[in-house]
Parts: sequence; structure tokens; C-alpha cells
Amino acid sequence: MDEIRMLQSSAMGYGNVSRELIKEGLKYDPHIIVGQGTSTDPGPGYLGSDDIFGYVGKSNKKRDIGLILEAAVEKSIPFIFSGGSPSGSNAQLEGVLRIVNEICTEKGYKLKVAVIRGELEKNYVKSKIKQGVRIQRLVDSDRLSEVLSVDDINQAKRIVSQMGPEPIMKALEMGVDGVITGRALDIGLHMAFPLLNGFNKGLVAHMAKTIECGALCADPPINENIFAILKQDYFLVFPPNPEKKCTIRSVASHAFYERPDISKEINPGGYLDISQAKFEQVDRRTVRVSNGKWVPMPYTVKIEGVKIAGYRTVTVAGIRDDNLIKQIDWFIDDIRKRTVDKFGGISHFDLFFHVYGKDAVLGISEPKDLMTSDELCIVVDVIAPDPEISNAICAYVRGRMFFNDYPGRTSTAGNIATLFSPADIQMGESYVWNIWHSLPLEDPCEPFKIKILNFPNSKISQWE
Amino acid sequence: MNAIRLSDLVSILRSKNAGPFLTTIDIFCENDKHYETIKKSGIINQSEISKLFKIPEKDVLGIYFYDSVKGIKITMVKPGHVASGDIACTDTLGMQQYIPLKHLMIPVDR
Repeated sequence: MDEIRMLQSSAMGYGNVSRELIKEGLKYDPHIIVGQGTSTDPGPGYLGSDDIFGYVGKSNKKRDIGLILEAAVEKSIPFIFSGGSPSGSNAQLEGVLRIVNEICTEKGYKLKVAVIRGELEKNYVKSKIKQGVRIQRLVDSDRLSEVLSVDDINQAKRIVSQMGPEPIMKALEMGVDGVITGRALDIGLHMAFPLLNGFNKGLVAHMAKTIECGALCADPPINENIFAILKQDYFLVFPPNPEKKCTIRSVASHAFYERPDISKEINPGGYLDISQAKFEQVDRRTVRVSNGKWVPMPYTVKIEGVKIAGYRTVTVAGIRDDNLIKQIDWFIDDIRKRTVDKFGGISHFDLFFHVYGKDAVLGISEPKDLMTSDELCIVVDVIAPDPEISNAICAYVRGRMFFNDYPGRTSTAGNIATLFSPADIQMGESYVWNIWHSLPLEDPCEPFKIKILNFPNSKISQWE
Repeated sequence: MNAIRLSDLVSILRSKNAGPFLTTIDIFCENDKHYETIKKSGIINQSEISKLFKIPEKDVLGIYFYDSVKGIKITMVKPGHVASGDIACTDTLGMQQYIPLKHLMIPVDR
């Protein structure tokens, strides 16, 4: 192939994928359509959760996936996307496959799809430890063991791994209409097809990094789709939306997005060095990029895991009385002491008062010394090992907030504005990251199971 | 020596997680002069950022100036070492963590 034309669908799942803009993108005759649908950004809760449609809900997700499949079928081009809501666990991947199945059934599509799981079996990870593989943490944090232990694995609810491009390349060679992955490296999804066709890895990685979030590399950055044309020694990038443009600055500065370092990012098998990259404006809306370099390193994948921290119950209270507002720290401390006296002997628990209007958003980094709010919102947040205890503590704290005395109090019928009825929200399990480690691999495909599924398919969940 | 608020010199001031344990803050200027003013002031340094966010200096992991796009990146360990979505976390995606920088006074020569 002389060139690869790739349509990136924009971040999937929020119902943001636009039929009109896909149509604009298809005018440039893409060889492939790629989308990303997994992330750790919304926190550990989704990897722990058993809700298979999670963060964005089923109908938003179905709408976006439907538009991608429609484009792929209409143009007879392959598709690649990662699926999860958004953790990419097996359960959430199955949610995505159920959606694909519904779409194929409703639209009459017949699709042969390679599905690649990103969740790792605990025994697999344990076997690595037994073989003497050192699985080191990626960040220094009290939550993470320096070197992953069997205990960490046992405590984890689930473990997923960000697969690189290699398992996707392997799947593409299986003669399929498309590839759907669980947890995957975003740039890997965009790298697989060009790498399979022999393009330069540094250039491919830089293209992938530029377009992985759709038109967030456009000016102004926006959650829409983007188009790339990859040549042997450069790539072009522009938004299909004729009203939008890519500029040197918008493309170069996308290297900042969600990354700790600008010029160097460590990925499976190497890092992309864009410190010498060249950006040129070729027309009003298009930027040409060249000179990204891939620097090989030993192959590792990131693995991510969560463990349960307890059961959470919250309640929301408003305070408007200026006399209480000025004594809010004392009021909260007093209630906290009473709560510890009452429940401290029964169970371990965490009790947070998130005081919006004071410092809830920034915590210790809040720059304002003096609170000047006329109104406060307090989110009472209780986490305990047992959901009943969590409920009991939250209700007790709410009751204290109703009637706790404070100097100058006139509100003897109650102190707070309760937002909801029922007042307290039982949020179920609460999770924390306990695995954020680097797993060395000799074979980049080893942990990632590939299965061919023909849609429509009545046996999606019968994987084994 | 006069001073001007950082937010009056920049077109983009944003923050986001860079993974669950780090916050990264991006600053972009439209104007070369504004960018140079900030850069030359030398005020965006490890010690100042540590004071501003009330975090240890060693937790300010990197400060990068990227002249060609008039951009500055600051990466830090999340304040209080509270990871994204951890039980004490109040900004899961880290989208509001740029605020302490907003009113940082940048010295300017007149």
C-alpha cells in the first residue's frame, strides 16, 4: 500500500459520533475506521463494577457503535474499536458484544469479528510471579506494592491489561470484517493496521497519538471525528468537518493531552520521541507531520487492577444560615467526634464531609484562606466494610446534622436542607486502584485471547 | 515591577489526570509576548508550584516549556497522594486542579 487513509470516529460512547461527520469522513475513502472506547479516567469504580453498560449507558453506546458499523458495512472496510464501559473488563466487553449483536440482528448485517479480551486471568498473572517475573509498579504510591504480589492479585476484583497493537495485527490477519477489543492501548488500536502494512513505526505511532482522541487535535479541540492519510515518510491530518481545521499548533499541542511528558511517552515495546518532529501547514485545514521516532525498549504492558475499599453511602445537605456557615469546621468536627464515639468500637469506617463552597474541590491545594460563601453544600460520604454499617453511620450523621447544637443556634427544628427523598444514597461497592504495574512479556500476544465470532450470534456469553 | 495574573496572559489553562496518580496541567498562550513573559519570569518552577499547591517539592515531577506551541506543562503527583477515584478523591478526572495557578501573579517589566 502506498498510503493508508484512516477515519477516527471520535471518543465513543457518549452519543457523540455524528452520522453527518462520518458521511463527510467517508468522502475521503478510508481504508479503515477506528474508534476507542476504554479508559481509566473515570476512576477505579468501573473496573470493579458489574454493570456491563457502566459509564455512558447502553443507548448512547449502541448509537455510536451502530454508526461505526454502518459506515464499515456501507464502504466494505474493516473497523477496529475497543469496548468497555469504560474499563474494558470481560463483563463490559460482553455488554459491547451484546450491542453489536442487537445492531446486526436489527440491520441484517452479517459480520465476522475477531474479539480480543483485555482482562487477564488471575492465575496467568500469578504464574508470571512464580516464573520469577518482576512486575513493578509504574508509579510510586502507597496503594501499590513496589513489586506485584500474589496477595495483590487475590485482593483484586479484576485485572485488565492495555494490549498493544500486536494482538490486533494478529486478529486482522484472520480474515475478519473487524476487530473489537477489551482494554487496549488507544494508540495501539490506530497502529495495528498501518504496522501490518509495513509502515514506519515512529511515524505510525505519532499518527496514532495525534488522532487517537479524534478532533481533540483540531483547533479548537472538539469531540468530533478526524481523518489521517499516512504516507511512507509523513502523515496528513485534518477534520472531516469542513468548518473545522487542524493547525500546526493544534496538532503539536495535542502531545500535551493527558500525558506526563511532552516529548517522550513510554508504550509497549518502546517510546515515541517527537522532540524532532516536523509540522507543516499544507492548506487551511491540513497539517503534515513527519520525523517522529520510535525508540525500542523491552516489551511490557501496563496492567490495571482494583480492590474493594468498602461500601459507600452518601447524603447531600445544604446550609444557608450564616451563623452555622462561620462555625462549619467546629460543627463538622463535633459531629465527627460523636460518630467515632458511637461507631468506632463497632467497625472501621471512613467518614468524609465534602464541603462545597469551602474547599471540597481542591482540598489541601485550595488557595483561599477565608471562605466567603453564603451557601454550602455538604456531601456526607461514608465507607465501611459492611453496607448496613455504612447506611447506619450515614443516617446517624444526617440526624446529628439535623439537630446538633452549636453556639447561637435558633434552628431548633433542624439545621440542614436535605436534598433528596429518600435522603441517603446507597452506592454499593467502592473500589480503589491496587494494581498499576508493568508486566514484561516475551510474546506481546500471550495474555490476549482472540476469538472469532460471527454476528448475529446467540452465544456471545458462552466464550469458553 | 508590576505583576499580572497568569489567567490574563493565557488562552488555555487546563488540568487532567495523566493516569490515576498524576495530575498534569497545560498552559498555552496565543501571544508570543505573553508566553515569553511567563517563561522569563521564572516563576513557574518546582519550588513555586510546590508552595502554590501545598505539596512537597519532590512531587512536582516535571515542568516543560514547549516554545514552538507556546505551551507549558506541569506534571505532579496528586495532592495528598489521593489517586483518581480513591475514597478521598473529589476530582476523579482532575479537571479542576489548575485553579491554584489561575491567580498566580506573574512579574512583568513595564
